[in-house]
Amino acid sequence: MKKDIRVVIARLGMDAHWRGSIVVARALRDAGMEVIYVGNQMPENIAETAVQEYADVVGLSTLSGNHMILAPEVVRHLRERGMEQTIVVLGGTIPPDDVPKLKEAGIAEIFGPGTPLKKIISFLSGLR
Amino acid sequence: MTKRKELYAADSIKEIRQKMEKWGKEVYNTEKERQEPFRTFSGLPIKSLYTPEDISGIDYLQDMGFPGEEPFVRGIHPTMYRERGWTLRQLAGFGPPEETNRRYRLLLKEGATGINGVFDYPTLRGYDSTDPIARADAGRGGVAIDTLEDMRILFDGIPIEKISSSLVTCQPICNITVQSMYFANAQDRGVQLNRLTGTSQNDFLMETAITVAPEVLPPRFSFKLSCDAIEYCTQHVPYWNPVSFSGYNYRESGCTAIQEIAFVIANAIACSEELIRRGSHVDSFAPRLSFFLSAHNDFFEEIAKYRAARRIWCRIMKDRFGAKNPRSLAFRFHVQTAGVALTAQQPLNNIARSAYHGLSAVLGGAQSVHIDGYDEALCTPTELSALTALRINQILQLETGVTNTVDPLGGSYFIESLTGQLEEMIVTLLEKIDQMGGIVKAVETGWIHREISDSAYNYQQAIESGKMPVVGVNCYREEDEKLPMDLFQVPETLRIQEERIKKIKKERDPFRAQHALDEISRCCDENGNLMEVIVESVKAYVTEGEISRTIKGCYGTWNMPLF
Repeated sequence: MKKDIRVVIARLGMDAHWRGSIVVARALRDAGMEVIYVGNQMPENIAETAVQEYADVVGLSTLSGNHMILAPEVVRHLRERGMEQTIVVLGGTIPPDDVPKLKEAGIAEIFGPGTPLKKIISFLSGLR
Repeated sequence: MTKRKELYAADSIKEIRQKMEKWGKEVYNTEKERQEPFRTFSGLPIKSLYTPEDISGIDYLQDMGFPGEEPFVRGIHPTMYRERGWTLRQLAGFGPPEETNRRYRLLLKEGATGINGVFDYPTLRGYDSTDPIARADAGRGGVAIDTLEDMRILFDGIPIEKISSSLVTCQPICNITVQSMYFANAQDRGVQLNRLTGTSQNDFLMETAITVAPEVLPPRFSFKLSCDAIEYCTQHVPYWNPVSFSGYNYRESGCTAIQEIAFVIANAIACSEELIRRGSHVDSFAPRLSFFLSAHNDFFEEIAKYRAARRIWCRIMKDRFGAKNPRSLAFRFHVQTAGVALTAQQPLNNIARSAYHGLSAVLGGAQSVHIDGYDEALCTPTELSALTALRINQILQLETGVTNTVDPLGGSYFIESLTGQLEEMIVTLLEKIDQMGGIVKAVETGWIHREISDSAYNYQQAIESGKMPVVGVNCYREEDEKLPMDLFQVPETLRIQEERIKKIKKERDPFRAQHALDEISRCCDENGNLMEVIVESVKAYVTEGEISRTIKGCYGTWNMPLF
């Protein structure tokens, strides 16, 4: 039996909007993944949680515009902890111009507003 | 109980029913309807046709009455927009205060009739821009305010003695300080508090359930701060609305129209009970309780929602609290068009969406309206998007003729039926919250969080399945779409705020600052009204972060239930 995909979901920094992250968390859980929802956190704490939870995926959510500063830091903290295999994805209001820069910084995929849940589930399921 | 006088004579209704049955069989059923459940967004069934029979149970004088009179269904003013249009109150706020001040001035110059100021994420949660966990969010989503000096810059040259300001200080932990800074700045400018007009949001549900932060006050203390501000304003700032129960944001988080109204009213009930417990008379504070609602996609349900809210509120204030002043019975509200209904795809389509939303708000009798910018799903509004939104509001008010009569849809068989149905559903939900022990309990147990997240999940599933069409998203999507406009860039904020805080801390009287914070601690310990103390404290140039840390030091913090 394959083990379930373990996903840590966090909202970056001070961002206030929980709707997207919660809806995605529930959809992933319904799709059979193991979801650890940690609410608002700073990058270092998110990476720490990912280590403790043996996370396959870290899912970040932000609508505040702080993604260019905080999302790459999550990747950096994970790599510093040797979590090379853990992938980081990001959802929220991300301007199209920022997408290539975020990918370059190690974010595996960006899911903007209006992304179907199916697309997120199939992207993460493809990791097995 | 006075005898009810039904709207139509029983024999006419009987005849209408017979004729309709015949029409249904012989005419309607020979045609073919689309195969779909016809329901409102909240799930109420919708019939193919409404007739006088659907509203025949209404007693006109008891259930509808006249505008400006109980039960206010038809509007809270006798003349409504024939006397004065709704206030054009476009939301603005980003970056450091000098930048937002420029946007305020632009909007006023272009015809806005009120200020609607939103604060950045750290300010709303009680953090200074320079706090390690706040730095990445300084100036985002609103304007950064750290000290009284920022407030002075923000309103520099704005005639606060003449126009009303709405402060989007949604969290009580933010409101208690930022509202105090607004009042202290007014005093510095020689404007007396008893002449100030405006609104602050000050809604404890915002702090503990809707827009959460890394750490928040326990619900009962957040609620206490909210009531402190209401009590203070009732005594010292009589034309100020010290709370605006923010159903808009509940809705943005996922609530249905029914939950939106039930939760704002449950919140207002709790505040009223607390103020009465503290010794205030209901008619001393209730005239200044105000509401903030959403205008979402389901056009008729939204209109009916505003009308139902007015009738419910009037009856609760009268029957439950014994309010006598007609102003206590009138449900006054601001509307913002639903941001959550706007799309990042084909963003210019949002101009049409927001215009429809705005139309439902004014057909429902709103006191002030904000129309969203078309780039809402992508960024803070650019100057062009903010001005276009203001123009949509002006077109609605000046060109469409909707202002010419009061409650133009009153008496519509459909609208009146829907108003009644929504009222019933909302009242049932209110009873449920009462049985739980009220809204503060419903937050503490996490019930409210579960309710909202269930609704949000159902909404998303409806989009996923295509049951809820969203043009450009789940139908008529364009692949490889190119954005047709520029996006807003948040101006540099952190460095400016950092330097200003540094300068202020160097120049302020350290003993006075420490004394101010000690006074806040003492007031917390003595369970006094914090507003009284904080209006003075901010004059010692203590920062917002210092004040909220002091309050959290006394009251502790709370982790909201994770979903």
